[in-house]
Amino acid sequence: MEAGVEERVAALDDPASVAVRLRPPERHGLEERFAASDPSPGLELTAHPRVARLLKNRKFQFLLILPNQIVFWTVIFVGLLGTAIPGLNFGAAITWYVWFCLVFVMMVVVGRAWCAMCPFGGFAEWIQRRSFFRRTQKALGLGRKFPEPLAKLGFMLPVVSFLLLTWIEEFFNIAGPGNPADTSFMVIGIVTSALVFFLVFERRTFCRYICPLSTLIGTVGSMGSVAGFRTRDREVCLSCRTKDCMRGGEEGYGCPWYTWPGSADSNLYCGLCSECYKACPEGNVGLFLQKPLTSVVAPRRRRVDVAWGIAFLWGLVLYQQFNATNAFAALDNWLNSGLHFPHYPDPVDYLGIIVVGALAFAGLAALIARAVAGPAADFARPGRFLERASRFRAFFVPMSYGLIPVVGADYFARQLPKFFQHAPRVVPAVAHIAGFSSTRSSLYRFSIMTNGWIVVVQVAIVSIGALAAAWATWRIATNELVPISEHKVAARVATVGLALACGAAAAVLYVIMHAAD
Amino acid sequence: MTVLDEASPQGGSPVAHPQVSVLTDRCAGCQECVIRCPTGALTMDTTRWVAEADEAACVGCRQCVRTCPFSAIVVSGPVAVAERHDVPPVSMPEPVGVSEVRGGFSGWAEALAEADRCLSCPDPTCVRGCPTHNDIPGFIAALKRQDLEGAHDILSRTTVMPDICSRVCNQAAQCEGACTWSLAGAAPVAIGRLERFVADHEPVPVPRPGEPIDLSVAIVGSGPAAVGAAFDLLRAGARVTVYEKDPVPGGLIRWGIPDFTLPAEVASRPWRDLEAAGVEVRTGHEVRPEELSELARDHDAVVLANGAGVSMRPRAEGLDLAGVVDATSFLKAANEALAPGGDPRALVGELGLSGRVMPRVLVLGAGNTAMDVARSARRLSMSPLCIDWMDERFALARPDELEEARHEGVEIRFCTTLRRLEGERRVERAELAATVQRRADRPPSVLEAETETIPVDLVVMAMGYRADQAFAPVAPGTPLPRAATGLPDRRFTASGILAGPASPAAFSYPVGRLALGRERGVTLAALAVQDRTWVVGDALVGPSTVVEAMAQGRRAAAAILRARPARPGRSRPSRSQVVLVCYESRGGRTEKAAEALAAEFSDAGHRVRTLPIGRVGPLELANADVIVIGTWVEGLVVAKVGPAKAMADWLAALPRLGGKTVGIFCTFSVAPRGTLPAMRRVLQDKGADVVAQAAFGPGELGARPTSFGPAGFAAEIASRLAGEVAPGLAGRQLRTVGR
Repeated sequence: MEAGVEERVAALDDPASVAVRLRPPERHGLEERFAASDPSPGLELTAHPRVARLLKNRKFQFLLILPNQIVFWTVIFVGLLGTAIPGLNFGAAITWYVWFCLVFVMMVVVGRAWCAMCPFGGFAEWIQRRSFFRRTQKALGLGRKFPEPLAKLGFMLPVVSFLLLTWIEEFFNIAGPGNPADTSFMVIGIVTSALVFFLVFERRTFCRYICPLSTLIGTVGSMGSVAGFRTRDREVCLSCRTKDCMRGGEEGYGCPWYTWPGSADSNLYCGLCSECYKACPEGNVGLFLQKPLTSVVAPRRRRVDVAWGIAFLWGLVLYQQFNATNAFAALDNWLNSGLHFPHYPDPVDYLGIIVVGALAFAGLAALIARAVAGPAADFARPGRFLERASRFRAFFVPMSYGLIPVVGADYFARQLPKFFQHAPRVVPAVAHIAGFSSTRSSLYRFSIMTNGWIVVVQVAIVSIGALAAAWATWRIATNELVPISEHKVAARVATVGLALACGAAAAVLYVIMHAAD
Repeated sequence: MTVLDEASPQGGSPVAHPQVSVLTDRCAGCQECVIRCPTGALTMDTTRWVAEADEAACVGCRQCVRTCPFSAIVVSGPVAVAERHDVPPVSMPEPVGVSEVRGGFSGWAEALAEADRCLSCPDPTCVRGCPTHNDIPGFIAALKRQDLEGAHDILSRTTVMPDICSRVCNQAAQCEGACTWSLAGAAPVAIGRLERFVADHEPVPVPRPGEPIDLSVAIVGSGPAAVGAAFDLLRAGARVTVYEKDPVPGGLIRWGIPDFTLPAEVASRPWRDLEAAGVEVRTGHEVRPEELSELARDHDAVVLANGAGVSMRPRAEGLDLAGVVDATSFLKAANEALAPGGDPRALVGELGLSGRVMPRVLVLGAGNTAMDVARSARRLSMSPLCIDWMDERFALARPDELEEARHEGVEIRFCTTLRRLEGERRVERAELAATVQRRADRPPSVLEAETETIPVDLVVMAMGYRADQAFAPVAPGTPLPRAATGLPDRRFTASGILAGPASPAAFSYPVGRLALGRERGVTLAALAVQDRTWVVGDALVGPSTVVEAMAQGRRAAAAILRARPARPGRSRPSRSQVVLVCYESRGGRTEKAAEALAAEFSDAGHRVRTLPIGRVGPLELANADVIVIGTWVEGLVVAKVGPAKAMADWLAALPRLGGKTVGIFCTFSVAPRGTLPAMRRVLQDKGADVVAQAAFGPGELGARPTSFGPAGFAAEIASRLAGEVAPGLAGRQLRTVGR
């Protein structure tokens, strides 16, 4: 009798469950699909109790953001109210001599670490959540979904905003750095945009669809050794009926980045905010490390928006190298006088060089596809921008992923002259806030490295990037291109050769630039 | 299948199929839509690991849109569903007598056509909308097989009154409001009528008493909550004694609902069956609050299901005039007068309305009770006018009931309130004022300038009921607030019942929120308010629906059968306990202590659940036999030392834990000072039986824990559970383990 009562009582725990007859989830091909991208259980950082405790703490991300928030407001106020000498103004000095360079180091190693501590998104998110760190139930703002026609462009909007911001920065010579107040205005502009988006749309719509740095950090960050938050046991995720990691649970918000740990196969969209880790009631989410370049080589789902994003970033960094040459100066002046545009950078050559750079890579990928592809590559799937399939895409998209190490190394190398020549200026700039120190300070004039050595370091970094790109492309070609190629050796050689050629082109341009910033 | 275009944003001509668009950028391949799609139109593209839709199979129910966590699916176009088959109410130019107004399906053809509209959703939102969680797709599937017995089998798992609920439930705000068609903006499946078809064509199974167990339960009241509790207790073999103040059992469903809505034959069926099965019903026996302790001496458990029978009174002048009556007395008298053999003229005379042609009755309120009053008044040849200060958009009456009442000639004015009643000794005039209400969650504002005076012959106060305040001391904390707060039940969120617009059938109230509020009441019904005393139904949550009260009664019965309380001098059957260890931890030491305690209980053969307090809700508390609560100590060595603030807030917000066995502990570095007494005070105020307490310092939780560590504490609680100390006394003979 007792057993019968117990059964009846157990049934009343969730009486609705007797009427729930969910279809079984699709499990076909799971192992094969995620085998290469799933991190090793031995590389789980959250297996260590101290790390686990730290990440479970709701103040974790707040404490990451807080120091950056202080620096960010200091940049705004000092930029507006401090000295007009850029090298002595803390706002301009910290932003352009140190910050940008550090962000690159961070993304190459950790992925979207900057996103986890970003003061722009962080500030807007505090307001959206109406709390610094508590799990609140009601958001401030309209909580709208990002319109579908824009959302289906994926990474393309952040690329456009990055190109636009870079042009504005060049036009006003903000990153030169020029007038420090311009740096403040730029930062105010970004945080205002972020705030508006956070108040109109749900989650981190701004970070995912608009933020100028999103494509750059996402793609370059995929070289990093942090896999992000992933499932410990995919079967637990598949049988989970509530998906607190996506919808939000008692202790954590739903993923602000629209990522599900159960299907994440790269760190591309993991903002490392740890909300899924906190929200999962089963404790089935962990923070994992991975071998460098895993998120470049391993993902099975390649995205065309990411591919075009990489191509345009490649075009932009080529422009930023080319614009330090005498040939470019002549071209820009000629166009400005002809088009009656006031000064550098002329939008025509700006966009022209970027588009040519991107299309050149895409064109070469198309040529390789035409030359080596076999019948298996000749499939076409109609659909929208993100969904179409073609022979060109079958080659161009994976090859673009292989180019990531060159693009990342190139951007990093491009920041080095400012860092090596001027980073010590941050010390007198800090002292200048307190009213002492001047341009006569020895640190103000101190350079860490001579121009000759800077070129050596730049070429070395780009070379490492090119070698990494060659290795990644070789792996990608072996796994994805060779099976659809008629000329299998040629497929490997041509794609790896293109990656190396891109690296070589960047290295040559650094030699020509001679450490110009 | 007829294709309607009513949900089409463009309107216009019918379109063959809805259009489904999966936003592959955001689709994470979680399959929440795939596993819940009623038609299997969504499958996985395993190459890209995103969902893909087969538009030809889609019926446009938008279940996928509501359940996608990342809003990655857009469905546009019409819904593809056949027209709902509604049975019009029995139409008469002048309503007379008490013959039932609402009809059921006339035969299998109609019932099957309506049953075919059901999609058999894999995660049925209608089931979550139903307070007792009837397996609606299950019984409709049985109906499609023309298996009435099977349908009854399925229904009887969760309801004991399908014949009554199908007639009186406000389905628009419950199951039908939560039907996936309703959430998609189309007409819901007529679930109520299908349930009635089952009950009308196959007798409701009679309760079979279980093998007797040593458990005696007293139930005070005989309304739907009492019916639910009595059925389950009887089926489990308990001895049930019911105390009812009226001469016939049934409570509100006998005197509060007129026969033309719920025929007396149907309303009396549950108690007829229960008495025949062995439940002792003592009618004419009113239990006063002071007598409850006596009942508790004679029975192992007491279920207080005495309802909310006190009529609410408006704040207006002139309510003391003759000719002003409350709804309870009017409905009781009208029911008797209209019943076969009754004398309507005598009632008209008793009300002081003799000789008046079509006396004007002002009914204060426009809810379900007011509709019953007004429609009874029509049958007594009166001219009723119902007024309600709320806007009709936010009214809580059944929409079909409003329609029927208007059809019968009842005038209903919303946005109207009573200012005062005037007359010489007897009420003659009523001054009314207009109101305006813009939001459902805000009370209306009275427009002082817009007044009107109307002649009236009788005023009936039908603004609802409240519980008898005399029971407040013995049922502390009641009535419970209805609104659900905090994070919604994740299963409700996942089903999609909380997403999307409010069902048009349920006015402006999102059915999901209403369902969550009801769920809270049903869950809390499992927690005793005092040692061995449970409160259910209207007495627990204020006026509620019949099915909700019944579900609460059943939940309390399940809790009693689980707790197996014993009156003084009797022993409880020994069995393994469900132990809930909940904690508030900061640095991890309290969590570690909680885990050590859980291991000790587990080793002793008990079932253990260990949770941080943030994840402990009423359901977890209700399902535990023993609760162990631990906190870290907050404060500055000597100043403001006490339980962590989060713990203090959590304890303050706890529901009643009448007689629940509780152990408390804290972890400290320097001294716990007043932490444990502070926790104990709050818990004892909530009615908990605090049987043991412990303070663990660094020594007790070190690498080599002392005998005063978690093991000793767990042993202390286990010895109390083993019956070494009588329940109820332990809290006063606390032994502190540790320092």
